[in-house]
Amino acid sequence: MPIEVRNLTHTYMPGTPFEKTALDDVSFTIGDGEFVGLIGHTGSGKSTLIMHLNGLLKPTSGEVIVDGLNLAEKGVSLRAVRERVGLVFQYPEYQLFEETVVADVMFGPKNLGLSEAECRARAEEALGQVGLRDAALWEKSPFELSGGQKRRVAIAGVLAMKPGTLILDEPTAGLDPRGRDEIMGLMKDIHAAGTTLIMVSHSMTDVSRLCGRILVMNRAKLTIDAAPAQVFADEKRIREAGLTLPPCAVLAEKLRAAGFEGIPREAYTQETVARAILAALGKGDAACK
Amino acid sequence: MQMTIGQYFPGDSPLHRMDPRAKILCTIALIAGVFIAQNLWAYALLFAFAFGVIAVSRIDARFIVKGLKPILFIMAFTFVINMFFTADGVELFSWRFIHITDKGLKSATLMALRLVLLVMTTQLLTLSTSSIALTDGIEALLKPLSKVGFPAHELAMMMSIAMRFIPTLMEETDKIMKAQMARGAEFESGNLIQRAKAMLPLLVPLFVSAFRRADELALAMEARCYRGGQGRTRMKQLKYSRLDAIGAAITLAVVVAAAII
Ligand SMILES: Nc1ncnc2c1ncn2[C@@H]1O[C@H](COP(=O)(O)OP(=O)(O)OP(=O)(O)O)[C@@H](O)[C@H]1O
Ligand SMILES: [Mg+2]
Repeated sequence: MPIEVRNLTHTYMPGTPFEKTALDDVSFTIGDGEFVGLIGHTGSGKSTLIMHLNGLLKPTSGEVIVDGLNLAEKGVSLRAVRERVGLVFQYPEYQLFEETVVADVMFGPKNLGLSEAECRARAEEALGQVGLRDAALWEKSPFELSGGQKRRVAIAGVLAMKPGTLILDEPTAGLDPRGRDEIMGLMKDIHAAGTTLIMVSHSMTDVSRLCGRILVMNRAKLTIDAAPAQVFADEKRIREAGLTLPPCAVLAEKLRAAGFEGIPREAYTQETVARAILAALGKGDAACK
Repeated sequence: MQMTIGQYFPGDSPLHRMDPRAKILCTIALIAGVFIAQNLWAYALLFAFAFGVIAVSRIDARFIVKGLKPILFIMAFTFVINMFFTADGVELFSWRFIHITDKGLKSATLMALRLVLLVMTTQLLTLSTSSIALTDGIEALLKPLSKVGFPAHELAMMMSIAMRFIPTLMEETDKIMKAQMARGAEFESGNLIQRAKAMLPLLVPLFVSAFRRADELALAMEARCYRGGQGRTRMKQLKYSRLDAIGAAITLAVVVAAAII
């Protein structure tokens, strides 16, 4: 179920003094089972881009093709598209509205026209997926939960629609380190279960930990589209885009410059860099832990 | 953005630079003029003046036209009512119970023109004045009334807070709507009851966040020692200039002329 974006341009409020081109001639294709990180400075157009992928925004020009369906064509059911591409917004906890957690998660499946029993089964499965297995919690009001729990309920609300592709807009924003790790772990699991994932982020570190491919946005344009190792090799362009390398990639680069040539470019996460340093020092993998 | 009433169109024209108090008073005078004016010539004069002001303000005319759209229905309605229910005058057309007279046609036209003029003049005020300047102006004009216990400052503060949060709430509405649409919600289809029901997933989060914001704002204001208007000074003092005198003189001349033609 590939997603194809061709020459996508989007202008907000055209013809007014507030006119703003948020996307400028963006093209890429995302294949099945990929885990893509979408990164860029504030206002670079990331949120605008992902809202095109399930038809929430219409392109000013260019096209978006999901699973062979051209979203601009007449007669394409947007509901069918939204069933295929799930979108979790930034701070999704602000969309919760139902009386109970489980009812809120059932909202999506209900909109797909599924039976009550099917909706309930999907909701329970999705809540389990996000680690909320305690059935006592399901009957609580979503407004009584903690921030991290609310966010997981909101993610479950989209997961329950069983989308083939899941997009998350800054899923770790505003969470403490532990909540962050939990969400990152959750995304890893969802990806492992066969869902295509797109994660929007400000943080190179977060993106480098999980993603197999990184798209970098800079002022409405897509400037880099490559695997992490290649992306981090192009420090100049990353700086131009107003971003910084993950600290471990910087460390590895500095060590290489200082003569430790054995540290490979493929090492950029905490774990891989640690291993590479140990190997370079002649110590075995065993010393890693 | 569909709503343009109450939206500021930034610029640096003489109209933008006028003191908000002067602009408010001129607008009130013009509104009075619209109600006093009784014949087509007077309306022609007021329209000419309004178009002149639009030209001077360099406000995109499309914004003004957009602002007229919401009143189109009311205009059509009053036009029809006036046309069909004026009985006296020379009959122009008659079919069963419908009688259209020349007087009816005239009063219907004048009524429609009056509505357009009213909206246009108030729009010129709100499009050329930022909401902060507008509330400052209203507060200054109402100040004399605070001697008799009228809460001028509080009223102005409430208005400026409300205006400050209109765009925020609209943005928030848009965001929550999109989030629910991503979960398959539809806001634009179905019958009236279905539509009203579909609003629930939008309204609940909106109210929750509005209350949260109100709470936070009250705290933030208190933390900065806000205690109402007493003894408060302003960073930007309002000052009348020659521009205001000229603007007021022209406006007054137009209104008087419209009244006596
Ligand atoms: N509804 C809107 N109307 C007008 N302009 C908008 C709207 N939404 C976004 N913009 C503008 O479009 C540009 C891109 O916004 P977008 O939200 O896509 O950026 P982003 O990369 O998601 O930023 P962030 O990291 O802050 O979330 C910004 O300059 C923003 O001001
Ligand atoms: Mg964003």
